[in-house]
Amino acid sequence: MANIAAQRIKREFKEVIKSEEVAKCAIKLELLNDSYTELKGEIAGPPDTPYEGGNFVLEIRVPETYPFNPPKVRFITKIWHPNISSVTGAICLDILKDQWAAAMTLRTVLLSLQALLSAAEPDDPQDAVVARQYKENLEMFKLTAKHWTNVYAGGPFVNSDCDDKIKRLIDMGIEEHQARVALSSYNWVLERATEQLFS
Amino acid sequence: MEESMTTSQGGESDMECSDNEFYDYYNSNDDIDIEQIDPRNIDPEYFEYNCLLEEQVDRLLNETVETLSNNLQIPPSLAKVLLHSNQWNINEVTKKFNDNSTQTLIAARIEPDAPPSSLLLTRLSSYVYCSVCATLQHFENFHNLSCAHMFCNECWTMHFEVQINQGISTGIACMARDCIVLAPEDFVLKHLQRPNMREKYQQFSFQDYVKSHPFLRFCPGPNCSIVVHSKDIKAKRATCNQCKTIFCFKCGCDYHAPTDCHVIKKWLTKCADDSETANYISAHTKDCPKCHICIEKNGGCNHMQCYNCKHDFCWMCLGDWKSHGSEYYECSRYRENPNIAHESVHAQAREALKKYLHYYERWENHSKSLKLEEQTLEKLRSRINQNVMSGLGTWIDWQYLFTAANLLAKCRYTLQYTYPYAYYMEGGSRKELFEYQQAQLEAEIENLSWKIERAETTNRGDLENQMDIAEKRRTTLLKDFLDE
Repeated sequence: MANIAAQRIKREFKEVIKSEEVAKCAIKLELLNDSYTELKGEIAGPPDTPYEGGNFVLEIRVPETYPFNPPKVRFITKIWHPNISSVTGAICLDILKDQWAAAMTLRTVLLSLQALLSAAEPDDPQDAVVARQYKENLEMFKLTAKHWTNVYAGGPFVNSDCDDKIKRLIDMGIEEHQARVALSSYNWVLERATEQLFS
Repeated sequence: MEESMTTSQGGESDMECSDNEFYDYYNSNDDIDIEQIDPRNIDPEYFEYNCLLEEQVDRLLNETVETLSNNLQIPPSLAKVLLHSNQWNINEVTKKFNDNSTQTLIAARIEPDAPPSSLLLTRLSSYVYCSVCATLQHFENFHNLSCAHMFCNECWTMHFEVQINQGISTGIACMARDCIVLAPEDFVLKHLQRPNMREKYQQFSFQDYVKSHPFLRFCPGPNCSIVVHSKDIKAKRATCNQCKTIFCFKCGCDYHAPTDCHVIKKWLTKCADDSETANYISAHTKDCPKCHICIEKNGGCNHMQCYNCKHDFCWMCLGDWKSHGSEYYECSRYRENPNIAHESVHAQAREALKKYLHYYERWENHSKSLKLEEQTLEKLRSRINQNVMSGLGTWIDWQYLFTAANLLAKCRYTLQYTYPYAYYMEGGSRKELFEYQQAQLEAEIENLSWKIERAETTNRGDLENQMDIAEKRRTTLLKDFLDE
């Protein structure tokens, strides 16, 4: 089985390298070992989304039964998105689960993930906190996602208000990422985030 | 569909039929009337079903498949997929197929909803590229489903093996992206050589077929392979003829009359969530209401007699037993606080908890009583043994005690399941009637339990009379509230 997996990955790797998406810098694929079981993927945040200008790194593990089972993929870059865990980077996407088909490729996976960034599905959430914010306060969600893209994925959008509030919490002895998570979860209301952190 | 192992169950009322010859001899008009009564009308729990072995179920399914295959002139493997996706309703499939065969085949995922694309044309000479294993192979080594997506045989085999190892059988789809066409049985088996894989596939698909068939239900007993068959899809009691497990035919869980399948599910979930609180509140011991000595309940009967002061009281409500025995037996009824609507949210929550605990305690208590009465039965058995050994009657003479104990278990079981029913019942005259009948049943059951625990000092006729009364109360309640 592993034989087919390696054969397929070799072939797919070539396919991605030559594809037009790579030429446009939209997706990238990199081999991490010689046995073709671990790869690094990269997708560019799609235009007109809070992720625009960001670059998101993915961990791709190829199971021995590939392509009859889907690859295991998660976000290494921290991201604020209803279908992606803000803690672990785990992804909720049908084609990575029961809707996988053996004829799909890593290229289709990367493009589907990019599509997921453009069209979130808050009714099928991976991260309940993010999904609730998305449904109840879309503007607040966009602001938070943009801020995370800026900090973790190199996006251009700087929000000094967010940065100030985080700095206030850092001054109280809170670690930066923890402070960001608390503020993001409480719609950037400093008092509520503080209360949660110190309770 | 008459099988050799057919065990049609008619409950207690069947006993009358076994005495046919006797009745014929003393033929009179009244007796004829009794015989002609349909058991369905007198026994609310009457249920006709068969216990089938795997081979018999296979035969039953294959007969249906063959009939449909002949009727519609389609291969048996496709007929099987069609039946599986239509709850094995052969008339409905035939009608649908005759109305619109294409649509029926698409809905059953036998045919693709869009005509196959020109994948076949990408063939270079006699070699084809398999997009799954990324190799070029000879054309003859390729197969496809009705969707025309071609893949090499090795990949099909691998695909099926991976899916089967994940427990998937009837639901294995084509390997192409976004293609939902299912692989029928003959196609899968053609690609499976390893005997253990073929066996696994057949075992899993058999399970799928039984689960999708409304007239079939797997016996839930551990390691039991019996399948119960009935054309009457109701929440009735089925007893497996092999492992003797008793279950509800409709949902496959423990039998739960008079409560509905969905209500009992709700109740059991609630109990599982709240059991900690309830366990804390309902302690295992209680103090005698008169002399306050601590009493542990070690028998099923709820009519308690304090060993210290000989006070008779009810374990449930701690009230005087005298009022239970004669006039009104009301401790099964929950009295709602009439002013609750005007109380605060906090008080309402407390009232809700109180109400739940009232029903939960009784439900739990009868469940415990059932277990304790099993011990009573064991004690009875050893006492009877002693009696027989010392020449006090024969085994046959004492059989009535076992019959009584079995009847007690049956009655108490029904009584236990009346509490979830009452809990979810809306207030009104119907609930009042139900709780009245429940109270009547409970009183007679406690009488019976009391008499069985003191079997030696109870007169046989008295006991049998009590059995009759308890069973009548049980049937009356079921008749009025089961299957509305």
